This record gives sequence, structure tokens and C-alpha cells, in this order.
Amino acid sequence: MHRSAAIPATALALILAGCGSKAEAPVEQIVVRQPGQPAASAPTAAAPAAGDLVAAGKAAFAVCAACHSVEPGGASGIGPNLHGVVGRAVGTLAGFTYSKAMSGSGITWSEAELQAFLANPSAKVPGTAMAAGQVADAQRRAAIIAYLASLKH
Amino acid sequence: MNDMTKPPRSRAAKWTRRGFIGAGVLTGGALVIGVGMRPGNPVAKLGPVVAGGKGEQLINSWLKIDADNVVTAIVPHCEMGQGAHSALAQMLADELEADWSLVRVMQAPADGNYLVPDTIRAFVAPGTLDAPDWLEPTWNGLFTRIARLADGMITGGSSSVRSTGQHTMRIAGAAARQMLIGAAAQEWGVPAAEITAANSMLSHKASGRSAPFAKFAAAAAEQDMPQTPVLKQPKDYRLMGTDAPRLDIPAKVNGTASFGIDAKVPGETMSYAAVRRVPVPGTRVAKMDASQAKGMPGVLQILNMGDFIAVVADSYWQAQQALNAITAEYTKAESPVRSGADQFARFAAVLDKAGESGGKAVVTRGDAKAALAGAAKRISAEYQAPYLAHAPLEPMNATVRVKDGRCEIWTSTQVPLMARSAAAKALGLSADDVTVHHPLLGGGFGRRLEVDYVVMAARIGQATGFPVKMIWSREEDLQKGLFRCADLSRIAGGLDAQGRLVAYSSVFTQRHDPADACDCAFYDIPNKSIRHAESDLHLPFAAFRSVDHSQQAFFIESFIDEAAHAAARDPLEFRLAMLGQSPRHKAVLEKAAAMAGWGKPLAAGHGRGLALVESFGTIVAEVVEVDMTKGKPRLTNVWCAADPGFAMNPDGFRNQMEGGIVFGLTAALYGEISLKDGAVEQSNFHDYQMVRMDECPAIAVEIINGDHQKLGGAGEPGLPPIAPALANAVFAATGKRIRALPLAKQFV
Repeated sequence: MHRSAAIPATALALILAGCGSKAEAPVEQIVVRQPGQPAASAPTAAAPAAGDLVAAGKAAFAVCAACHSVEPGGASGIGPNLHGVVGRAVGTLAGFTYSKAMSGSGITWSEAELQAFLANPSAKVPGTAMAAGQVADAQRRAAIIAYLASLKH
Repeated sequence: MNDMTKPPRSRAAKWTRRGFIGAGVLTGGALVIGVGMRPGNPVAKLGPVVAGGKGEQLINSWLKIDADNVVTAIVPHCEMGQGAHSALAQMLADELEADWSLVRVMQAPADGNYLVPDTIRAFVAPGTLDAPDWLEPTWNGLFTRIARLADGMITGGSSSVRSTGQHTMRIAGAAARQMLIGAAAQEWGVPAAEITAANSMLSHKASGRSAPFAKFAAAAAEQDMPQTPVLKQPKDYRLMGTDAPRLDIPAKVNGTASFGIDAKVPGETMSYAAVRRVPVPGTRVAKMDASQAKGMPGVLQILNMGDFIAVVADSYWQAQQALNAITAEYTKAESPVRSGADQFARFAAVLDKAGESGGKAVVTRGDAKAALAGAAKRISAEYQAPYLAHAPLEPMNATVRVKDGRCEIWTSTQVPLMARSAAAKALGLSADDVTVHHPLLGGGFGRRLEVDYVVMAARIGQATGFPVKMIWSREEDLQKGLFRCADLSRIAGGLDAQGRLVAYSSVFTQRHDPADACDCAFYDIPNKSIRHAESDLHLPFAAFRSVDHSQQAFFIESFIDEAAHAAARDPLEFRLAMLGQSPRHKAVLEKAAAMAGWGKPLAAGHGRGLALVESFGTIVAEVVEVDMTKGKPRLTNVWCAADPGFAMNPDGFRNQMEGGIVFGLTAALYGEISLKDGAVEQSNFHDYQMVRMDECPAIAVEIINGDHQKLGGAGEPGLPPIAPALANAVFAATGKRIRALPLAKQFV
């Protein structure tokens, strides 16, 4: 049997050879600490303050910014401008054409509604045009919503 | 391999090809149709593994139906963008008569019940796929044995549709349809022949009864296995041959698709490893200085593994930063090759030694030596192809947990069972104690047929004792992996007085796969001598998309073009004259030429070139138009005609031709891994260029369904013709013959 792409030569030889010596142990192993243990001199991280959450949200929003502007009165892009979106009823931003699914959803964007929507947009509003907006990570989602809630006036 | 000793028993006994596949359980091969959920057979074992959802019923090992009438095809091949998951589900769904909107795909687990012996067979001995029935027991037994020995759950060789799709998924669908009908016939008390299946529903016209598949799923699993499921003829295809929307696209658009590099170990704090392999293959770490790295943020462990250094930290970035701060010295390389020139000098020495008749004969026809001596005109040329990196978007990575004598691995791989065996061996465990999860691949291209990176991660995980995700940096991925081989080829040809190619003699140093890639059997050349004079490689080899065809097509089709010009013939006419015995090849070449308007006048500085290649059972002709007016090659158009026998999903097939062309164009124009002091010089995409959007030509693809019983592949065949077609176009435009790749380098 010739060497084959379907049967990588090295792997085949290795498997057909059956028993061989097992791979070597480390020549040198330096253990600094165990995972989850704090570093010896590093200060332990405090719970994030509210301001940190907004800052984290602002950073995380960079992905969303491809489609959404947040400046007061800023023009909408592929998605609507999100300045003051918390507390806003869907489909009410002038000058933006919403999907039928969205404008007919009857949602007013509370933080809880945003939680549900961002967790799985097409499950919350089936037919929404927001194809790429899922934020699966709960912490990240909370940060983004905190940032959006901070965008008023 | 230990489960090989006890082949499970089945009631299916008829050793026909289909019967074998149906009764795959006999030898652990493919399908376990009809043995239902009875205790003691693999379906009973597989049921909990693959059909854990509420109300799901496993009909056979390749499909399940849930209470909402959703059919899930369980596909043994991996998905790396080539569309195999969806195409295989499409074939199964057509035979099953399922509603495409109710079909889903599930990746088959890395389990010995999901071997793909036909893929092995398509590679090792493709001729036997059409063997007469009486030979079947021999072949099937043999290939299933090989598949077992080689841990044959493999995705490669452009083979999923033509092997597993044709010989397993369709049969699984057809058999399940018959089993569902049988169950309904019993329940309704009517003859099975009067029941029809369509759109995931069963109906009996005379009595007006109808019900969804789901209603009979449990009873169907108890039905006897059809010995010879009846497959559809092309006139009855409903989904096959259509552009059924790919099932994997939505998750890739909305970002929910999960790739190997996205893996997390459930319920564990993740740690991350960055690695540095030795710079020159075969060397070792002689001395490591980690004094600075030890104190850097996030660092957990620093490992000198002999053949590589690893830093494990709280985050990947911290691990990589600390790794960058480690200095090391390495042992001296045994290989004397320091540069690309050294490598090619070694190749040249081997070819010098082989001369005009040395080396191992691969193809011998007539008497090439005598025909060359007696030719009216003799031409010869030397071609060279460089090392190439696969450069998949997702760099090599693997996530491992080694704990309590067991190992669990999450990784993108084309060979999950080989990954399992290799990890088991490295850790001194039995394969049964290793579980491999294999999510979507962010590119494979053959690189992920190798399991070196999986073994590295397993060794790190064993040393640390806690879960680790190892990620190679882009630089590591480009410099320290395995490579498409460099090669040198010398070809001589003889023309008779009428300008016909009557002698062809070639010799080259690399031969991996497919066996016939170095031949151009469809051209009627009476005297041939094709020889392999093997030379060792400095960089380790891994199959590259289209494997040997990726360099051989450039050698062969460049030379055929040179022969045409030496004969003062049009390159199209010259080839057509040699295709008298190959009507399908002729039709493909004529189609591509017609698409391109071959022969119509071109603006000054423009040129057209063509190439014709058969690879992986698919015949492809490509015509390139190039604009050389700016002194550098700029492709304006590529026209591609392809005959895969029958395109199961034409949209997917075109997509693969386009992908193969762009991938091959990157290699032809820019691809080069070069050496300095024995190590790879390139490091990232700034010095290992891809073809950019603004350089990409308009690509037109047309499909010829030339023979629905002889399917060819899709993933690779688009690639081989592009390099020679481009070089031939450059010659037509400038009169300059390019015999060494990459091509753009010749015009700086």
C-alpha cells in the first residue's frame, strides 16, 4: 500500500506498528502555582464596580458598533441608532426601516427585554434582521446592557 | 483496536455489497440497519450516545427521528467548509423522502462504529468500488479490516460524497424508508407496496390514511433490515442534484457555529498553553532559560518537553507573552539542508543519478527511450515547486483533560480515531480511555490529517494534571508544522514529423498520493516512461489540498503546453488531438474553451492559458486570462468546466471549484516556504501572502454530469489546473515560460 492522503503515513505507521514506547515526560517542569490560586504578590481582584461594568460594556460594544451608532441624534447604520434605547419602544426611531418582525413585536426595551433579545435574537424576535447580534456570554451581555443604559442625554 | 477481536453478530448474512453495508455490524463497518434497539448490538450501545434528545428514536446508526418529525442524519465525516455534512444529509434525505426543512445534521462521535471503509477503499484501490458481486465479500472484509487497523474515520481525498454518501448514507435513507413503510403497513394492515413516502409523511391512498414519519419511528427500528435497499435512479432524484440550502450556513452567519478553538472543558477553570517547537525539524531543546518568564503575570507552569517548550497560564495572551520571554538553545540538526537551494540541489543530484531511465518505474508504455531517440523533434524542461504551508484560518489547537487514567480531547481533526489512538499511545492509556470530541474545522486542507498537535496537547495535559487548551500562534502554525513537499521534475518529449507527441518521459522526487497523479492517462501518448526517484525532505510532509496533483499538474500541463508550442500547434487543438479515447475529457476541455471564447483575439499584453486535469475522479479544465500590461500577472478571468459524474449539490460543487481555484491561485502566485539555517523563513501572512479580494479574477464554473454512476470528488479537483493554466497564459502573453513556482516572484 502506498502512502496516502487518506491514511497519513505517520499516523498509519504509528498505528500499524501497534505498541511502541510512550511519549517522553517533561525534561523540566517549573510549577509557579495552581490554576485558580491567586498569584503570590498580586492583589486579589475586587468585584467590578458599576463604572467598570459600563467601561467593559463600552469595550464589548465595539463589535456591535459595526452596525449601530450611539451618538445622540447620530444616523442609523445597518441597525438603528441605540442612544437612549433602554426605555424606548421598538420601531419608533424615525428614519430607520425596521423588519416587520421587529416593528410588530410590541417590545419596549427594558434591561430584561434586552437580556432576552441579545441572548438569542432570532428566538426572542423570530424573523429579526439582526442575524449576527447574539451575545452568548452572560457577563458580556450584562456589560453591554449597562453601557447602553448609560447612554442618555 | 481491542474491540476488533469480537465482531458482533447480525442476522444479515447475504454477502453482497449492499448487504454488507446494510449489515455493517458483521465486521463493525458501516451501517446497522434493521437490528433495531435489541440488546447486544451497536444500536443499543449507540442509542444513548447519539439519540439523547427527548422522544428521539434511532432508526439505524445513521439517522434518528424525533417526536417533531425532525430527521437527523448522523454524518461520520468532518465539516471543514467543504459542505460534506449537508451534502451527505441531502443524499440520505432524498432516499428517505424526507422534507429538507425538517432535516438536521449531527457529527458522528469518534467511535469505531462510524468507520468509513469506502473512503479507505476509494484511496487504496478505487477500481474495486465497481467490483463484481462475487468479489464483494473479499473486498469488503479487507477494506473494513484496513479501516479498523488504520482507525478509518477519515475525511480526505475528496471522497465523502462519492464513498460514504453513495455507499452508506443513501442506503441508510432508503433502508429506513422501507422500514418506516413496513411499520406503517403492519399498523394499518395494508400491503407495503401501497404506501408511499413523501415530505416526511407516509400515506395510503386507498384508505386515505397518512401520518408523519415520527409516528412509526419506534416500530420501524424493530423492522427487519432490508437486504438490498432499492436506490433511486436519477430520474427520481428529488433533492440530489439540487441546490438544497446548506444546513451549516446559518450557524456560521450568526456566529453560533463552534470550532475546535472555541472548546471549553465543561465545569472547569480553563488554562491555556502557548508552545514553541524546535526551529529545525529533528533538533532538541538543549538549554532553556525561563528566569524572566517565571515571574510574568498569569503564568502557571513552564515545561521543557524536549522537542518543544510550553508555557501554561491563566490566559492565552499571558502564556504567549511569557513564552516570548524564554530564551533557548537547540541541538545541532542532522539534516545538512540549510536553504531552499540546498534542498533543490539534493533533488537535482537524485535526478542526475536517475538519468533518462533510472528511478522506480510508475508508468511504462511502449518504448519511450527509443521513441525519443527516433523523434523528429525533442524537447525537455525542468520544473520546480516549493514547500507550502496549509495556513488554515484556525491555527492548530487542542483542548485536553487528563484525569484519573482517562483523557478527554476537544480538537478540530480530519482523523478523530487516529487522534484518539495517538493520544492513548503517548499517554500510555488504552484507546477506550480516550474520548475525542471533534467540532467544526476552521480549515483542514490536509494539515488536520496529522495528529502531532493533539499529541502535544495530551502530553501537556498529562504533565499539568489540569485541563489545558493549547493554541499555536500563527507564527508557530506557519513555521513548525508539516508542509506540502517541494519537488523537482524533469520531463522530456518527442514529436513526430506531424507534430504529434509520441514520447513522454518524466522523473521526479516526490510521490505520496494519489498513485496516478504523476500520469496524464487520458492523453493518448504511445510511448511513456514515468519514474519516481525518491529524495528525502528536510521539512516533514503532510498532504496538501489535491496532494501530488498540486505540483504534478503544474509539471505535466506546463510541459504539454510547451510541446504544443514546439509543434507550432494551438494548445487547445494539440490537446484535443490526444483525447480520442477520452470523450468525457474532450467534452470538458471543449466546454471550458467555449466558455472562455478560446481563439478570439485579445488586447496586447493579454494572454489565455488552459489546463486539463483529472483528479479524485473529477475532470476539470480551466482557462485563465491574464493581463501582463503592468509587468506583473493580473488575472481577469477564470473559466472552469468540470465533470464530477453527477453533482449532488451543484451550488456546493461550484463553491468547491471556486475555493480550489482561489486556494490554488494563492499557491501558484505567492506560495513559498523557504529555509534559512534550516528553519522556515516566513512567519505570518505579511510574508506568506494570500490572494486578496482585489486580485481575485471573475470565476465562472459550469458542470457536466457525465456519468451518474461514476462520481468524482469536489474538495480538491478545482485546484490542480490553475497553476499550469496561469503559467501557460503568462507564456501566451509574454513569451516567458515560468518553470518554477511561485509565479509572482518571477516578475518583481
